[in-house]
Amino acid sequence: MGGPVISTRGLRMRYGRTEVLHGVDLEVHAGEVVALLGPNGAGKTTTIEILEGLRARSAGEVEVLGVDPDNGGDCWRGRLGIVLQNWRDHPRWRVRQLLAHVAEFYPHPRDPDELLAALGLGAQAEQTIERLSGGQRRRLDVALGIVGRPELLFLDEPTAGFDPEARREFHELVERLARVEGMTILLTTHDLAEAERLADRIAVLVDGAVLVFGTHAELTARVRADSQVRWSEQGVPRTANTPDPSALVWELHQRLGGPVPDLEIRRPSLEESYLGLVTERNAA
Amino acid sequence: MNNGRILLIGVRRGWAEHLQFLRNRREMVGGLLGTVVMFVVMVRWQGGADVPGTHASKAVLMAAGFLAFCVSSVALMNLPMVITADREQGALLRLRTIPGGLAAYLVGRAVAVLSQLGTYVVVMLTAGLMFTRLTLPTAPADWLTLVWVLGLGVMAVVPLGAALGALLPGPRNAASVLSLPMTGLLIISGVLFPVTSLPEPVQWVAQAFPLYWQGLGLRSVFLPHSMLAAEIGHSWRPLQTAAVLATWSLGGMILASWLLRRTTRRESGTRLTERQQRLAARSGY
Repeated sequence: MGGPVISTRGLRMRYGRTEVLHGVDLEVHAGEVVALLGPNGAGKTTTIEILEGLRARSAGEVEVLGVDPDNGGDCWRGRLGIVLQNWRDHPRWRVRQLLAHVAEFYPHPRDPDELLAALGLGAQAEQTIERLSGGQRRRLDVALGIVGRPELLFLDEPTAGFDPEARREFHELVERLARVEGMTILLTTHDLAEAERLADRIAVLVDGAVLVFGTHAELTARVRADSQVRWSEQGVPRTANTPDPSALVWELHQRLGGPVPDLEIRRPSLEESYLGLVTERNAA
Repeated sequence: MNNGRILLIGVRRGWAEHLQFLRNRREMVGGLLGTVVMFVVMVRWQGGADVPGTHASKAVLMAAGFLAFCVSSVALMNLPMVITADREQGALLRLRTIPGGLAAYLVGRAVAVLSQLGTYVVVMLTAGLMFTRLTLPTAPADWLTLVWVLGLGVMAVVPLGAALGALLPGPRNAASVLSLPMTGLLIISGVLFPVTSLPEPVQWVAQAFPLYWQGLGLRSVFLPHSMLAAEIGHSWRPLQTAAVLATWSLGGMILASWLLRRTTRRESGTRLTERQQRLAARSGY
């Protein structure tokens, strides 16, 4: 114990002749919530599926809970919770029936009724699954993912297609799992706000490689795009982009010999910086 | 996780799915009642006379034939369709993420299909007793034949159906790909009239498939020996029946275990998404 819960080094994945992951390095520690953030097609789902042991990698070292996912047996599987993107399975089962069925596979499962109540599905317990709304269905997927008391939970694009209300409720649920239960969680998302809200650390995955990996503050410092400085010189509006607006303003002060007319400094938001990063990479 | 526990979970899973089948109105009306209605219509329309050259009732011939046909159609149509649906909706993938899930899935599928087969057999036998001069066998030897012909017949087609389920891309696909050959087999396999009234090459095709042999075995139970005048070789050929059914069963099991293992190993979320997107694009919403 004490080692990272997830660690990958030089993880590569090829489909035919296209390489979709070019050496992904990740390290997730116990009790952390880490978001894998990136645009569609960046390789988030491929990465998470390799970690879940659902897909064999082409190259690189991977350890999840101290085990290579390619050789993960039932015992290892029992320590993971997995929530995938597009489950529409078991439509004719009743909500409680399926949860109780899945619970049976684990040695120390949670109580299905308590879990349903905690996820706000108590009223739907006897309903067939095909009649659940999208948000309810997703909460059931999470219930099924955590009924076996996993140490590590994978959430793949958990809020895709949610309305704002459902999204907020889902965020509260994930926060509860992380803070109250101390569960280690790896989630993928293409939504920066979601990553910021939920994750202790964010790994930005673009084009099959991790560009930046760190806390929100570290990320902001690392990816910050140039600030925009505006001022007037002899009545003519001027604009300049610079990574160091303070230095530019100091220089202007000296050059103009006093206060700078119409001075304005705009620092980009993290979102703008992130989008700049993503489009820059995609254009390259 | 021990195997006994997984087996038990699988059995419970299969029974739960069987109860869902019994409660599903569309499947009851479309599948089970549909077959019974078709049977009654055929009996009323064609079943009045004896099979030419014999003293065997055409209606009883049809009753035995429909019984065999039910086994084949449940195993070779319904089973592949549920397996492809389990794949398309993600049930297989979910069970793959659960320790012992796939083993329990296979047990559950087997229990569900066997229970469904049992229901069909009982309902078709009852329909035969009610609408034709079919009578249940009295001699213990005939009961023994009934049991082994049904048992081996089921074993011959269930693994084959599972293999088809692993191969076919989706449930809609499965229905359209399988219904034509199944109808063809229904016509040429001696379910509605004796195969000997068909040209010899067609008889050979029919004899390549389990449906003909299962029908033959059931006729040997329910029809008088005078029926033999209209059978190939004027014999019930029990040894050949057992050999052909056992061969299909063995081949099917080897094929199914390989194909199912391959399919479930390849199952992943991205594949699921791709399939669902294709489906959404096709159905246009």
